[in-house]
Amino acid sequence: MVEVKKVGIISCSGEECAGGGISRLAARHVLESARPGRTVTICLPLFLAGGEEERYFARTFPTITIDGCDKRCAMRATEKLSGQVTQALTVSELLDSESALAAPFSQRQLNGEREKQIAKVSAALTEAVDEIIGKPAAKDLLTPTTPPAGIRLL
Amino acid sequence: MSKESVMLIPCSGIGKVHGLIGREAVFKVKGELRPQDTDLACLAEIVTQDAEVQERMNGRLTITVDGCPKMCAEKNVRLVGGEIFASLRVVDAFRTHRGAQAGSATELTSDGWQISDELADQIALKVDEARQGGKGNG
Ligand code: SF4
Ligand code: SF4
Repeated sequence: MVEVKKVGIISCSGEECAGGGISRLAARHVLESARPGRTVTICLPLFLAGGEEERYFARTFPTITIDGCDKRCAMRATEKLSGQVTQALTVSELLDSESALAAPFSQRQLNGEREKQIAKVSAALTEAVDEIIGKPAAKDLLTPTTPPAGIRLL
Repeated sequence: MSKESVMLIPCSGIGKVHGLIGREAVFKVKGELRPQDTDLACLAEIVTQDAEVQERMNGRLTITVDGCPKMCAEKNVRLVGGEIFASLRVVDAFRTHRGAQAGSATELTSDGWQISDELADQIALKVDEARQGGKGNG
């Protein structure tokens, strides 16, 4: 069995523009479908509040931030708590500013165009995860990182 | 009557369904139910105490919607000087839906959408109270 480190993904999940929603859904896609078992997340405000659980997260996992726009709130917040982030991605750079700064959307309004945007961002995020811990090989059995007693990863 | 629109701040919960329910409820209020009476700001921006958002929030009537007892939206809005008119919790919206399978942090089921829509109705009523100079519970 190969012990595999995990990568922390912190999404800004911004509520004021489309980029925030795209960052959130791309992060969810990587956590749930593209690299499950190799990625973990935590709510950004909680991360910055910096309790025991959050310090564990910051100490333990190399971190990728994904921000909706060039204000880069997730990157700035993460750097405040845990120093340098391993990679900082931004929806406005991966797509374009116009798409990122468009009005926020409900998941009821998801359409083909939006799904393509989310797929592009989650592909970049997946690539960034693989750069840190390598592409998963079928022969690798993943050993989940078990947090210490009392620590619950969201 | 409050002249300024009411700020709506959902938490950025990303690990459980509660965060998504709150987020969608707020989007429904802003997008459909009370578009002219409300405004949004990113919680992450508030959390980083960005000067621009701090100025926008200062003294502004705000309704927060939090996914869990950590109450990140309420706490951080207070920190930047926002005036909490009402602080709503997604867990309370579940009270009348015991055992509901609401979905996940990625997707809501029809139960999840129903809870979110009911929460949106509650938020809209709070917006009306705030606009009419009500006292709020913040
Ligand atoms: S990075 Fe942009 S979209 Fe994300 S929370 Fe900050 S201001 Fe909002
Ligand atoms: S209130 Fe709870 S669910 Fe919402 S951002 Fe904070 S920790 Fe996450």
